[in-house]
Amino acid sequence: MGRRLTAKRVIGGHMAYKSSRRDFLAAAGLALPTVAFASIDKSRQAPTLPSPASGFSYRVLGKTGLKVTSLGFGCMITSDPSVIERAADLGITYFDTARGYQNGNNERMVGAALKSKRTSITLSTKTQAKTKEEALQHLDTSLAELGTDHVDVWYLHAKSKPEDLTDELLEAQQIAKKAGKTRFVGVSTHGGQPELFPAVIQKLPHFDVILTSYNFTMDPKMDELIASAVKQGIGIVAMKVMAGGFRRAKPGDKQTEILKREGAMLAALKWVLKNTDVATTIPSITDNEQLEENLTAMSAAFSDADRRILLAQLDHIGPLYCRMCGSCSGQCPKGLPVSDVIRYASYSDGYGQFQLARESFMALPAAIRSVRCSDCATCAVHCPNGVRVTERLQVAQELLA
Amino acid sequence: MRLAVLVLSLLVSAGTAVAQVPPCTAVPGWTQQGDARSYDADNLFEYMNGNAEGYLLYHFVRMKGITCASGDTTLTIDVSEFEDAEFAYGMFTSTRDPRTPTERIGVNGQVTPRKGFFTKDKYYVEIAANPEKDHSATLRAFLSIIEKGIQGRTTLPDAFGWFPAENLVPDSIRLVPESVLGLRLLKSGYVAQYQAGKGFLVRESSPDSAAQVFTKLKARFSQASPASIGDEAFTATDKYLNGVSVFRKGAFIGGFANLPEGRNGVAESEKLAANVR
Repeated sequence: MGRRLTAKRVIGGHMAYKSSRRDFLAAAGLALPTVAFASIDKSRQAPTLPSPASGFSYRVLGKTGLKVTSLGFGCMITSDPSVIERAADLGITYFDTARGYQNGNNERMVGAALKSKRTSITLSTKTQAKTKEEALQHLDTSLAELGTDHVDVWYLHAKSKPEDLTDELLEAQQIAKKAGKTRFVGVSTHGGQPELFPAVIQKLPHFDVILTSYNFTMDPKMDELIASAVKQGIGIVAMKVMAGGFRRAKPGDKQTEILKREGAMLAALKWVLKNTDVATTIPSITDNEQLEENLTAMSAAFSDADRRILLAQLDHIGPLYCRMCGSCSGQCPKGLPVSDVIRYASYSDGYGQFQLARESFMALPAAIRSVRCSDCATCAVHCPNGVRVTERLQVAQELLA
Repeated sequence: MRLAVLVLSLLVSAGTAVAQVPPCTAVPGWTQQGDARSYDADNLFEYMNGNAEGYLLYHFVRMKGITCASGDTTLTIDVSEFEDAEFAYGMFTSTRDPRTPTERIGVNGQVTPRKGFFTKDKYYVEIAANPEKDHSATLRAFLSIIEKGIQGRTTLPDAFGWFPAENLVPDSIRLVPESVLGLRLLKSGYVAQYQAGKGFLVRESSPDSAAQVFTKLKARFSQASPASIGDEAFTATDKYLNGVSVFRKGAFIGGFANLPEGRNGVAESEKLAANVR
């Protein structure tokens, strides 16, 4: 435990930590020589596993004993049920939705797509309810929309603090379990994992599964957190596996096309799959082409080429995009809200939203707007994530002031 | 009088999302709880986690919001701005409940006991009420005030009128922001649900571009049979899309899919193609 974990703030589904880039790359497996990872995790095959479809890898979802394909299917933004149906036919066994997705329309579509395959797949949904009664009502609605009498995993949705795991929500999960409406229960988290994972473990044997953000841009300490949960029998499902820098790129954007063309999406998925503590992953899949590409991640090892692609992405994202960890807060002697100003620069040169960038900048107090970084001989602000602070602040001041 | 002044001020200042969130006091008995919210494409995730992806798909630009309280009831009001009116309407089509009637609020809206939302111009407005009970009257009051403060387009996208009305499921036409029918070739377009099957319509940037996409699409289906609709057309069968008919007319690619056995969709596609302008 050499490095001290310092969770600062959760942004965009990422944990942001203070750790050096060298530490980060080393522990993330991006700075080391290639190690070939077998696509099928043999250590997890102790239970009787289904006969693997060609090129598929299967893992066990913790103490649930459920055997799942390491590639699952995140249905959240899928618009055509034929893609979901085809994925099930091809052999994917884990499908994830939530009560809130598309205002409830998503569960209905997923239910229709999987109605003839319910017994051969693992189905999960989530509730963001705050009370026991509402949660149970959500579950009943979910079951009706999904066209099933039970789900396999029912998550408390988007929890980030230990106090989010209230007694009444846990009681709701127990009631649902006893009623046979869910086989297993879990919690999903986009951030706050350093505090939440221990809290989930503390609630054992209640929880069976954690669904967590996990990708190559996150602090290596995530691996330790995941391992600690797995050691206690908790199954791990990974989401946001394509990382935040990808999330920001919108469909049709040049950046998205570049990422797809260069194989960055697939490399990011393979990076997650090489951690065999992760039982399955749920990347959002919108079309058949994406489905087919993602399927190859199960049979291909994370390679040197993948590593180079991800390093390039980190280099692309790292120096430009503030991760809002808060480390720079109060460091500027002239009072600049450093992370905000850097973000405004990104609006303009990262996303082509000059008007938004200008409006945001002009909303700052006049005294702050008049600060010029070029007046300082040296910059007092140091970014632990490698953002080129002075350069980015000057970009904002030149473009937006 | 107070309400009239408020509405007037909203009308005058329309054009930015900031102005379109009214004060809670616009409806007597309500006060603001906490600070106003402000998000953009870069940080919407902080507010709604993974649900943000659903907004970004429709080219979300920014969101302003407030929470209003009256007694133990709270209203979470969010006004989202999208790149254009079509995307905002697309957002609405992805979230409306097809089993609940829509209402004429802005271009279109829907009110349920705990939720109310509508779209107008490039804005998508949503209000969620807590706790569990029928809040529809309050929701309508707030929605009406916000709607009056938004200027701009109040008509449906043209494509809505092009889908043949016969056997069309009411309020089922939606904008699919990427991969229509689950096919990446069909980048984005409209899908309409029919009693049997679904119609679709994709607009490419030019007839040449559409012709290229059409050729690739045809090659994707084995045993495609030529048909005579628009500039070029074919029919085919697919394990997941069942009976399919596809035509190209100028820059548009459209057709029908998921047709029951024995129907090739030519008659339906002919009607759709005839309406496309």
